[in-house]
Amino acid sequence: MQLLISSVCMALTSAVIGNAYFQKQQFYPAVVYITKSNASMAVIYIQFFVIVFMFGKLLRKIFLGTLRAAEFEHLLERFWYALTETCLAFTVFRDDFNPQFVALFTVLLFLKSFHWLAEERVDYMERSPVLGWLFHIRVGSLLTMLGILDYLLLIHAYNSTLVRGPTVQLVFGFEYAILLTVIASTTIKYVLHAAEMRTDTPWENKAVFLLYTELVIGLIKVVLYLLFVVIMAKIYALPMFVFRPMFFTIRNFRKALNDVIMSRRAIRNMNTLYPDATPEELRLSDNICIICREDMVNHSKKLPCGHIFHTTCLRSWFQRQQTCPTCRLNILRTPAVNSVAMPRAADDAAGAGAAGANAAAGAGGAQPAGNDDPNAVAAAAAAAAAAALDLDGNMGRARRPGVNGATTFSELFAEANRLPNGLPNLGIPRPPIPPMPMLSPFMMPPHFAYFTPPPLPPPPMPQDLSRFSDDELRAMEGDQRKHIEQRLKLLGNINLMLDSVGIMMNQYQTLTARLQLAAGPSTSTPAAPPATGDATESPAPAAETAASAAETASPSVYDMPSTSAAARNQQEEARQLKTAAGLGSGVAVVAAGNGAERVTIEDLGADEDDVPFTATKSQSLGNSEAEVDDNSSKLNELRERRLKFLQDNNKTANGSEKTTSE
Amino acid sequence: MAGSALRRLMAEYKQLTLDPPEGIVAGPVSEDNFFEWEALIAGPEGTCFEGGVFPARLVFPPDYPLSPPKMKFTCDMFHPNIFADGRVCISILHAPGDDPLGYELSAERWSPVQSVEKILLSVVSMLAEPNDESGANVDAAIMWRERREEFNSIARRLVRKTLGLAT
Repeated sequence: MQLLISSVCMALTSAVIGNAYFQKQQFYPAVVYITKSNASMAVIYIQFFVIVFMFGKLLRKIFLGTLRAAEFEHLLERFWYALTETCLAFTVFRDDFNPQFVALFTVLLFLKSFHWLAEERVDYMERSPVLGWLFHIRVGSLLTMLGILDYLLLIHAYNSTLVRGPTVQLVFGFEYAILLTVIASTTIKYVLHAAEMRTDTPWENKAVFLLYTELVIGLIKVVLYLLFVVIMAKIYALPMFVFRPMFFTIRNFRKALNDVIMSRRAIRNMNTLYPDATPEELRLSDNICIICREDMVNHSKKLPCGHIFHTTCLRSWFQRQQTCPTCRLNILRTPAVNSVAMPRAADDAAGAGAAGANAAAGAGGAQPAGNDDPNAVAAAAAAAAAAALDLDGNMGRARRPGVNGATTFSELFAEANRLPNGLPNLGIPRPPIPPMPMLSPFMMPPHFAYFTPPPLPPPPMPQDLSRFSDDELRAMEGDQRKHIEQRLKLLGNINLMLDSVGIMMNQYQTLTARLQLAAGPSTSTPAAPPATGDATESPAPAAETAASAAETASPSVYDMPSTSAAARNQQEEARQLKTAAGLGSGVAVVAAGNGAERVTIEDLGADEDDVPFTATKSQSLGNSEAEVDDNSSKLNELRERRLKFLQDNNKTANGSEKTTSE
Repeated sequence: MAGSALRRLMAEYKQLTLDPPEGIVAGPVSEDNFFEWEALIAGPEGTCFEGGVFPARLVFPPDYPLSPPKMKFTCDMFHPNIFADGRVCISILHAPGDDPLGYELSAERWSPVQSVEKILLSVVSMLAEPNDESGANVDAAIMWRERREEFNSIARRLVRKTLGLAT
């Protein structure tokens, strides 16, 4: 078909030229004759297109070899769109419509199609099992050639615009600028793919690089398009012909931006909140990452729902969606929820040096056998997270009074979290964040600490007020409207938080009551007090929080790193730890009590380990040794009962768990 | 090192070859291109499609398994959940987010946990039990719901056709 057309065309052209020669016998008259005759010119033009087409085929043969079916299909599709847009562009520039103009557009389309093909080829790299050196030479030279051509044409367009003012060259300059960005992104992709091929292991960060490349190139393109539309609208008319590509570019950019933001959040959550899977856990599972179907040896993460994947696989999945691939648990929702349980985990991490050892010792004392301590902390974090999540999920269905307050609990925390930062122009340096590793700024725990000021009513103003300048003091006074608004907001939040704490306490108490019933009345009475005692303390300081926080609008903002402040910080930490432990265990039990699925015995054991830890901590607050021992023995009892309870519970839960994991 | 999509497809191919589910054969069209598979699906027993062997083609995206493949029957099909051109419309093949017919739960959508095997098994069960609410082929859906006999006879004719028998 193509051969037929081109040979017919060839014949026509030679007929036209031969006819001209035959009539005029000389070169110049013949040329003049041809250019004067419309029919001859039409034939010549068609011949010109055929030559361009053949030249394109030749180049394709050299640089790309045979096209795959998919490549050809895409090329054709895009070519028709581009052709339509070119025709639309003609309407804008109908005044300077001449052969040169058409030729320029032909060259543009010609180059464009090679850009598309190069893009396709580079995308194909990822899919093909083996690529020879020929492929690399071809792609490399094609990209270089296209890049140079784009650049030269862009410069030409720029210069001609400078010399002759805005003409159609404006469009070409813009088009070549866009093509340059395409070449840039294709080259980056090529380099990334090639780099990955050279190594034997999957390259973890490639997906991240690709995403960012897309984002940056997308931004450049969007800016270029907007600029172009504005300029064109001012000089000529609205350039309809760029609307379609502009729309797609903007959409892609938005998607890339969204992906980057969401995946960053999810990945950060993953890196900070979720523990690496331990060899133990890997051994217990089937040890195959279900995303890539390969063995998990190292670098795998356990999500709060208990599913384990490669860190890299999760990362690339999170760029699409922020859910657990297996059970679709929303990963982004968990950090806020985690804030209930996280302070404890964070503290665990913070105190890993001294206090951690303490905790381990405490745990060892409390339960001499059968508990794998190294995993305990991580497992506790996971369990608490899962439990907290379950709580959040179950609360909605629980139909208890005031449940509404509780479901928004996490949001509340998140909002309250932002508030200390909400008074930015106080002109006072923010106090240094307490040294808690693995915490990103948007996470809850460090700020959470601000919300549990010392137990006694006197507001915790820094003692050495003399250090502040007058201006700073005045700023602290905060008599402006927005400060008052912030305070009121804060108060409202505290109120809501208190409500939800109350609800949680209620639940906890009902559950302990239920537990006692389950375990039998004879042993139940002595065991309950330590835990509830721990926990019931929490509302009281929280109430005081309301009062003192109201007075000073988050006092810790004024915290100076003096020694007394540090000491107080510690106290706060300890207290908060207590609250958290109380809440955390409460949560765990609530989850279990609701028939909720995911609390395993191992997890609970780990969970308990923290309670002795709080006990040792609270020692510094003035508790006596004897009390601590007393506590731990009581806790032991309680633990045993809970274990039993959970064993029963797990049996029933196991069935449903299996179905969900499948 | 080849891309992760390729490795996963190879792994799935191996798995399907070593331990094929009943009534399903699937593999790449050619060893050069692991991103295009053809599959043969036997019509489930006890249904109007019993005895038929239906060829289909699966096309995988470069970012498989993060995105689902596309599946298309290459023979004539008359079924409520198969478009007239052979494209299969089941929720497992749709990425969460895009919802062509606006009724699917995101829990039924594509996720990397799914696999070729699961897709094909879902298709088999789809053949056995059409979902007449999705309505990729509305005519088929209505006929299936209201004139089951007619639907069955069309299906049996298709079965004979795929087997190369005279209708």
